[in-house]
Amino acid sequence: MAGVSTKDIKNRIRSMESTKQITKAMEMVAASKLRQAQNRVLASRPYFEILYGAISDIAASNRDFSSPYLKPRTGGKSLFIVIAGDRGLAGGYNSNVLKLSLEQMEGKESVVLPIGKKALDYFRSHNVPCHTEAYAEAAALTVGDCFSIAKDISNAFLDRVYSEIYVVYTNFVSVLSQSPTAMKLLPLEHTARASAEGVHMDTVYEPNAEEAFAAIIPEYLGGVIYGSLCESRCAEQAARRTAMDSATQNAEEMIDDLTLKFNRARQAAITQEITEIVAGSDA
Amino acid sequence: MTSFPLKIVTPDGLIFDGTAEMVTVRTVEGDMAVMARHINCVVPLGMGTAAVVTGGERKIAACIGGLLSVNNGECTLVPTTFEWAENIDVSRAEKAQAKAQAILDSKKDDEVAQKLAEAKLRRALIRKNVAEQYKG
Repeated sequence: MAGVSTKDIKNRIRSMESTKQITKAMEMVAASKLRQAQNRVLASRPYFEILYGAISDIAASNRDFSSPYLKPRTGGKSLFIVIAGDRGLAGGYNSNVLKLSLEQMEGKESVVLPIGKKALDYFRSHNVPCHTEAYAEAAALTVGDCFSIAKDISNAFLDRVYSEIYVVYTNFVSVLSQSPTAMKLLPLEHTARASAEGVHMDTVYEPNAEEAFAAIIPEYLGGVIYGSLCESRCAEQAARRTAMDSATQNAEEMIDDLTLKFNRARQAAITQEITEIVAGSDA
Repeated sequence: MTSFPLKIVTPDGLIFDGTAEMVTVRTVEGDMAVMARHINCVVPLGMGTAAVVTGGERKIAACIGGLLSVNNGECTLVPTTFEWAENIDVSRAEKAQAKAQAILDSKKDDEVAQKLAEAKLRRALIRKNVAEQYKG
């Protein structure tokens, strides 16, 4: 074959093979991490559903008193908690969630609380101010950290530093599908279902409604942040697994292609040699 | 005794889903017991011992943070952590206690670290206490 020597092709096949080995290994690591993360998500889901249900019932039944957590405010800054990964090579995982958060921030005076190194780097380069950089490593975050974030942001909300608080994370729908989601944390919104019924008016709050609310909201936020973190971590592993799987497949295709080329080149070289010998003996 | 549906869920998963005759928890204002046909209520929880009575058997646990709600006869306990007495790792609690005590004794660090150590100490003491009650 013209131009490409068999040696060049051989080198390319070899380098492609080592790439394939790496992507294959990464896929396997992601698959085993995914299994763990998936169990965690499944275990924690009932907690959030029940917590969310309890909070929306309380929010709906308490239109008579005005907790600062419920009152919508206008103007002021918006805080976005953005959960992304620490590392790349996870397909569109990081870029999807970061793109969504930029969309959400448009037209608002925004401050970000990045979770995950990729989120931190991204918002630094986009010159978005950070609330804190203490939680930059998503993999190292514990339940306790989530609750301290919650306490911190609910205090900031009460001090009127922020008028709205959102969390942007990736929802783990299935192994093959993950969707970036933005959710409003504060102020709490009445859900349509609960406020339409308005049945729980006879609920008793100890010590009283306001205090119960003030104690429960930071807990609720901590729970939601932890939940979104679990979902995001699981989604990250799923995205990485899929991305590495297709990278491995692409490498295999290229190796097949190159092997074919290599054989053709070898064949051509042999044919040429035979032709030369025959021509020589004829002469 | 009449029983009622009870659910206990934490971020680590569903811990209890069934019927109980009575559940006792430590709220921010003191102990409180819920029995069947309790009025609808929502109560934030403190840190302390919780007890669940099912089928005449009383089980105790360390229950920290979160809330308890009763809604139309169904009781939901949503604590931040909930550990049955038999699952408590006493040596870990003792280690946490010693570590927190050391921070408190040193009296340095900032106020936040001191408060955190205090809370950690209280949690460790509750765990130890619950484990001892279970044994004794």
